[in-house]
Amino acid sequence: MPMWIKQSLRLFRHELKRGELTIICFAIILAVATVFSLSGFSQQIKSALVNESNSFIASDRVLQSSRPANESILIKAQEQNLQSVQMLLFSSMAFAQDEMQLVNVKAVEQGYPLRGELLIESDNGPVALSAPSKGSIWVDKSLLTKLSVEIGDSVELGAANLKIAGVINKEPDASFSVFTQGPRVFLNFADIEQTKVVQPGSRLTYRYLFAGEKADVDSFDDWLTPQVEENQRWYDIKSQQSPLASALKRAESFLSLASMLGILLAAVAVSVASKRYGQRHQPMVTVFKAMGANKNYIRNLYLLHWSSLSAFSIIIGLCVGFIMQYYALQYMASYLPTSTQASYWYPLTVAITTGLLCACAFAYAPLKELVATPVLSVIRGFNGFTSIARWQSVVPAISAVFVLLLLFSKNIILSLVLLLSTAVIVAVLVLFGRVLISLGRKIGSGAGQSLHLAIANLKRRAKQNNVQLVSFTIAIMLLLLMLVVRTDLIDEWQAQLPENTPNQFLVNINQSQVPKVEEFLQANELSASQLFPIIRGRLTAINDEKLLKKASKEQDDNSDNGRQGLGRELNMTWQQELPAENVVIEGQWFSETDNTPAVSIESKLAERLNVAVGDELSFQIGSEKIRIPVTSIREVNWRSMQPNFYMIFSAGVLADFPVTYIASMHVPSVNKQDFQQFLSSYPTISVIDVEAMISQLRTVIEQVSIAIEFILLLVVIAGSLVLVAQVQASMEERERELAILRTLGAKGSLLRNSTLLEFVVLGAISGLLASVAMEVAVFFIQLNVFEMATSFHGFYWFVGISVGALFVGSVGFMSCWRLLKLSSLTLIRRTL
Amino acid sequence: MNTSPEIILDCQKLTKTVVTGSGKSGAKPLTILQPIDLQVKSGESVAIIGASGSGKTTLLSILAGLDLPSSGEIYLKQKPMHTFDEEQRSKVRADHVGFIFQSFLLISSLTALENVMLPAELANDDNAKEQALEMLAKVGLGDRVDHFPSQLSGGEQQRVAIARAFVSKPDILFADEPTGNLDSKTGEYISSLLFDLNQQQGTTLVLVTHDQKLALRCQRQLTMDSGRFIEQQIMAEVS
Repeated sequence: MPMWIKQSLRLFRHELKRGELTIICFAIILAVATVFSLSGFSQQIKSALVNESNSFIASDRVLQSSRPANESILIKAQEQNLQSVQMLLFSSMAFAQDEMQLVNVKAVEQGYPLRGELLIESDNGPVALSAPSKGSIWVDKSLLTKLSVEIGDSVELGAANLKIAGVINKEPDASFSVFTQGPRVFLNFADIEQTKVVQPGSRLTYRYLFAGEKADVDSFDDWLTPQVEENQRWYDIKSQQSPLASALKRAESFLSLASMLGILLAAVAVSVASKRYGQRHQPMVTVFKAMGANKNYIRNLYLLHWSSLSAFSIIIGLCVGFIMQYYALQYMASYLPTSTQASYWYPLTVAITTGLLCACAFAYAPLKELVATPVLSVIRGFNGFTSIARWQSVVPAISAVFVLLLLFSKNIILSLVLLLSTAVIVAVLVLFGRVLISLGRKIGSGAGQSLHLAIANLKRRAKQNNVQLVSFTIAIMLLLLMLVVRTDLIDEWQAQLPENTPNQFLVNINQSQVPKVEEFLQANELSASQLFPIIRGRLTAINDEKLLKKASKEQDDNSDNGRQGLGRELNMTWQQELPAENVVIEGQWFSETDNTPAVSIESKLAERLNVAVGDELSFQIGSEKIRIPVTSIREVNWRSMQPNFYMIFSAGVLADFPVTYIASMHVPSVNKQDFQQFLSSYPTISVIDVEAMISQLRTVIEQVSIAIEFILLLVVIAGSLVLVAQVQASMEERERELAILRTLGAKGSLLRNSTLLEFVVLGAISGLLASVAMEVAVFFIQLNVFEMATSFHGFYWFVGISVGALFVGSVGFMSCWRLLKLSSLTLIRRTL
Repeated sequence: MNTSPEIILDCQKLTKTVVTGSGKSGAKPLTILQPIDLQVKSGESVAIIGASGSGKTTLLSILAGLDLPSSGEIYLKQKPMHTFDEEQRSKVRADHVGFIFQSFLLISSLTALENVMLPAELANDDNAKEQALEMLAKVGLGDRVDHFPSQLSGGEQQRVAIARAFVSKPDILFADEPTGNLDSKTGEYISSLLFDLNQQQGTTLVLVTHDQKLALRCQRQLTMDSGRFIEQQIMAEVS
């Protein structure tokens, strides 16, 4: 075996045992473990979230169409190993003896739902079933009351006579539209023909549900998307405009962002530690060279040394990452669906690549410099020798970070933005750091002895301190960023779903029932929205342009949320006051004194239809036609659990039309029975229970909050490691200075205080800069990534500055403590 | 070049000039060594003494092949070191040269034994371990072989450094202030050890020191001042 192998392994073994490689090993271990657990964990969380949420569309993807879809689509799905089922949705009258009721029919095939569960009441509680057997139906409980029938009775639906075989407990892809017409009826797909409802001109909605492995679904998606016709809609849970989709998108964005920041910090730690690794080995290299070892010998020796170190750290990192992921998933097992299987291949590949990339890119410059250490240093000492151009150390490191970000996010724009903004922050920090330290010098000259010495030290080591300042600041900034975004995000979610979030919607309340409903709400002290009058009408023209085509689309009455299209009748209201969660962004809200007819339009619809304030809209309401000017454009928070409207008219415009009312309210479980009783006295009032969706939303928020805490912990560890590594890196230099000051007779207390103050000042400045940078970053993230209201975080400035001062101060002081305790003679011997 | 096998080190008109300063004041050449001639016989011990800044350490660096002269010739074991690149000089150092430094320069992560084995291993000596153990026993550290440098006193560390210097039986040994970091008692012990081993192995010794007593133990003393040997100057004036 060549001698360099022996010597390299020997050196590695001893250094490892003696803890001399702890920081660098820990940095690589952390990078690998972070990436492993984060990619695995966030992957799991994401797929768990999506799985869970996909039950809201009963599948992974849905193709909705007003006509039967082309057979080739189903064949292709089968070829792609996707499961698929089809359903047909339509409204029809149901008859039982003398009673009749408009119902919402969903004809399903065996196999439905592909995601989530359809629960049907049974004697032993709810059971998960697929489709009713031929000749039978499952119905909403309210239908039993409305038609005065019981389970086992027969109901006429179109031309078919069908037996009620069960009551629906939970429908996975139930419509959350508060304007859905009539109770739900589940029908076997094979019975459609018997009902004879499918006639030319019937208003039908065909839905094709698809589910399968993500890769298969994605490739099917790629194939199908370009073929989607105008009368079709191809969507997944995230393309829905539901509160859940919004929470889900934000959660995913946060997980990706947090993971990327974690990786960025771990990379900074590796970079700092590898630089120190190079510097620490310089004396050894010169000794080897003086003894006659040539460049090749040293290059081989250190390449092997670094490879052993990297391999060792990557393996430990993988183990740690595996354990972290395992326990994190165990901890979250109750929140994850049982079907979720942990996959290790993806995180394993990403983590190993990260480890190798970090090990190669960050070590390139330090190792190159190390091998080139001049042998004369053995006599002359090591005076900050550099043998390579600055770009050689910067370019590989930046490229590695970019590749890592890209690897993780798979988003070139996001990676570039993150990298460039980090570069801008670094540049600004270097500038600010210089100015601040220079200002400090002026203030320091009038201060006490310890502070004066501390500030003099800072000034003298301005270059090294700038490097430290940048890494401290980045570490503190990322920590603050995580903390602030996490708090804001969770707060906003919780604000969105407060304790008394409306869980019931009452629709079809007629004018005469309004006082009774109000009375009931008051008597039971239920929190409820105001009662909104509803009128259905069709937008027929904008100014003089008729909207014939758009207004003739018919498939949307059964859509999930009823907001995506204009090709149907709109539910419109009138209000004197601007409803909560609505903000006028253009024009003026109706004036109390002015009774001129006017309409306010929702901003996204206005954008889609290219409607501006001052345009005139024509509506067909029943047989009447009205033409009204737009006086304001509103932004509406669709995530709020209250009735929201595209069109709000000024009071009086619709006064002569027959109306029904709608209200949302929170009914606590203790009041449920009274609520049911109240409703049974008013069978024409329909109720929509959104309790299930709210609890689902809460689960998602809970899952994501836990995931966020976990990532925050990793980011804190990575940040702390950067701080420790950076302080350690400056120790050798301090050793020499302390020796000199000691020799000159400086008192122990003076040295202790000045060292402590030096780190505290450095930490505080970093904290301040980090707070500024965090505020700017949070502003952009809130605005662009999470699309939420921006806010100022004064408290976190205080946290940033004090944590910076305390943490950097204490780590620095503790690292110096060892030196400060040494006797003058030992210090001098060690350094001179 | 003196081709006599007796001459192990031969320098002719060796100079060293470095460029100092830059920027507004402009670069200025600084002469550290004036033309120097020096011959050292095999087995001889030579002390180079002089005040700080007299150029003795620079001379030692060039003599040992750690640095190159600005002009002049230097032959070590008849090899023209002034024409060699770093790699070739490394080979010469590995084959013929030993070092002792003022600050010991032991590798802190290796044990005393491993530190001593280093030069022998670099010279591909199969018996590196046995020889290192023997040398450590000779310097009185037979029972401290597994200790790391931080577990040894200054004197003990220098004894390890001496063992390391002698283990590969170099033809010539360069010592830079070998007792400079030690108290006088330990220093005396170390210098005795150095000269005893030197005598036993018949090694040529070139040492740089401030210590007059240590210098006097050498067969020849050369005093440097402003980059030249004072004796040489006097001799030149006499002739």
